[in-house]
Amino acid sequence: MLEISDLTARVAGKEILNGVNLTVKAGEVHAIMGPNGSGKSTLAQVLAGREDYEVTRGSATFEGHDLLAMRAEERARAGLFLGFQYPVEIPGVNNVYLLKAALNAKRKAAGEPEVDAYDFLALIRQKMKFMQMSETFLTRGVNEGFSGGEKKRNEVLQMLVLEPKLAILDETDSGLDIDALKVVSQGVNSLRDPARAVVLVTHYQRLLDYVIPDYVHVLSGGRIVKSGDKSLAQELERRGYDWVMGAQVA
Amino acid sequence: MSAALRSFETQWRARTPDALQPIREQAMQRFLKLGLPSLRDETWRYTDLRGLAAQTYGEAGCAANADAVANASVTASASAGTGTGATSGKELLSLVHAGQQAATLTMINGCPILNADLPIINGIEINSIRELYKQDSNRVRRFFEAASDADQRRWVLLNTALFIDGLYLKITRAVARPIVIRHVSTGDSAQAAHPRVIIDASPGASATIIEHHLSEGDAAPLSNSNTHIALGKDAQLEHYRVYATGAGATHLDALDIHQAEGSQCRQFTIALGGGLVRSSLEARLNQRGASLDSYSLLAGHQDRHVDCVNIVTHAAPDTRSRQTARAIAGDVSRVIFNSKVIVNAGANGADSKQSCRGLLLSPNAEIDTRPQLEIHADEVKCAHGATTGRLDPDMLFYLLSRGLDRETAQSLLVFAFLADVLTDMSVSSARAAIESALISQLPDAQILRKFR
Repeated sequence: MLEISDLTARVAGKEILNGVNLTVKAGEVHAIMGPNGSGKSTLAQVLAGREDYEVTRGSATFEGHDLLAMRAEERARAGLFLGFQYPVEIPGVNNVYLLKAALNAKRKAAGEPEVDAYDFLALIRQKMKFMQMSETFLTRGVNEGFSGGEKKRNEVLQMLVLEPKLAILDETDSGLDIDALKVVSQGVNSLRDPARAVVLVTHYQRLLDYVIPDYVHVLSGGRIVKSGDKSLAQELERRGYDWVMGAQVA
Repeated sequence: MSAALRSFETQWRARTPDALQPIREQAMQRFLKLGLPSLRDETWRYTDLRGLAAQTYGEAGCAANADAVANASVTASASAGTGTGATSGKELLSLVHAGQQAATLTMINGCPILNADLPIINGIEINSIRELYKQDSNRVRRFFEAASDADQRRWVLLNTALFIDGLYLKITRAVARPIVIRHVSTGDSAQAAHPRVIIDASPGASATIIEHHLSEGDAAPLSNSNTHIALGKDAQLEHYRVYATGAGATHLDALDIHQAEGSQCRQFTIALGGGLVRSSLEARLNQRGASLDSYSLLAGHQDRHVDCVNIVTHAAPDTRSRQTARAIAGDVSRVIFNSKVIVNAGANGADSKQSCRGLLLSPNAEIDTRPQLEIHADEVKCAHGATTGRLDPDMLFYLLSRGLDRETAQSLLVFAFLADVLTDMSVSSARAAIESALISQLPDAQILRKFR
């Protein structure tokens, strides 16, 4: 589904990604871990199409298409979803308008008719209930005045409505209390499907107790320096990132 | 002496004196002595009036058959498709009427239409300023201050000297029905009109008044308008001034607000039309507990020039003011917003905030903002902030990453930027009309309409 090869990218003249290789197949859940500043968020943003980053080398394909040649909105419509680490507040743009516009943009790209207003509201209510979100969400601006936890729930809600083929979740677990973490994990797990894939970018192993990954990768210095199964995450938790980075030097 | 000044002097000499003559005489002599404001004057440094000064102006005058003109101008506005001012005017008109059954008063080139069709509104007395002055000058005299040298008041002097007549509205109790004053400009750009309105609210009275400035076509007489608002103890007013004249129109508008104890004023200044718009607001919070919320929504479009000057004086303790300005500038337009808060000595407990944000939509547009504070008291709370920039890239990327196309995302963000002002309007029909007129001036208007 996602094939990244030797991906190198920089922002403001500084190399952040330095030859990333990663293959994600349909049905898989991958976790990308790593210390602060290792390039995790940059990788997520580059894959989603943020223009501030300049890709200087390498390639990325999504279902056989050249991802890097697509604009951010085209990637989204093709089924790629980025859950933001810091979802931005957009007062004046209503949550529901955005969701509806997003869903319709995707449907239009797939040659499907626009969603019926009544059906859409029923869908939103059902997903909101699943994510244990308050009804006031419907009338508010995008993420406006939301707590950190509410913003993350909203990211997962959007993901559930849009049903992406590939979800990249950037530190969706950070800033969540244990109850919220369970709800968010439940949301992610509900999307697991042989036809979809999930990439979890996370700093801590905590989330991986609830969303069990098939593969764990450690990103350091803009490259994947170690890959393994879920036990790698547990070992990292026990021994710290210094262990991997020390091994890398040695 | 500039050509414009000479022509105003000629008009002055040709006038038949009326009961207001001593007041007018003083104002005109002051105006002639000071001359037109120039870039050297503090509040005029962003607006070059040399083009205006080089022209000559005749009196726009009242239309021979004012009723016919009033009706004709509605038709003209409704059918004009090209002039943005005319288009927005039409939308505002129809929506205010259909939605909330507003009472409408009309002034043509500054001449109030006071005939038998005048709406009867409980709690409002409607008069001609000249008539009232003739009958009982004491009721109106206080609204004509002594001639001032302040450069922002230069054109008010000329208005005082040359206004043909004006509307005097006395609000005596709570009036629920919004009142719309339509200021219609008709004629050509070699003429000048001086509309004058006085809104006098008795203690405890309340009202909503919408002044709507529109022109018959793109070209219109120079309009030099003045509105004076006086709020008695605990009076409440929501006041709108909406500029929606044609793209060739020049409009100089001055608004004075004087507030007594505990009075509350919410004021919306909406610039949607005109070629050159100069809009000033001078508010005086004269007694304890007076409160002013001023909102400015300034839309720079095509080659429009909008220069907005606010001066708010806290002249008594425990007074409160809020100024919220949102400016957008597209194409080659220029928008200026200067605000100043003055806290007089002894006005302890004054509480003021100025928030001004500008959004540039084109590399060739310009926005200038300058919030200022002048504080002569010790115990005050004064905050100000001003930012101007382009669309927030984080917000834009967020919307794109959800699959919205770029045009839709940009339009949504521009509109969201203006929401702070729009959401606080309590006349929903006026709000809807202003939104609609505003959308028509944004890029990708069609897309945006789907979201409203």
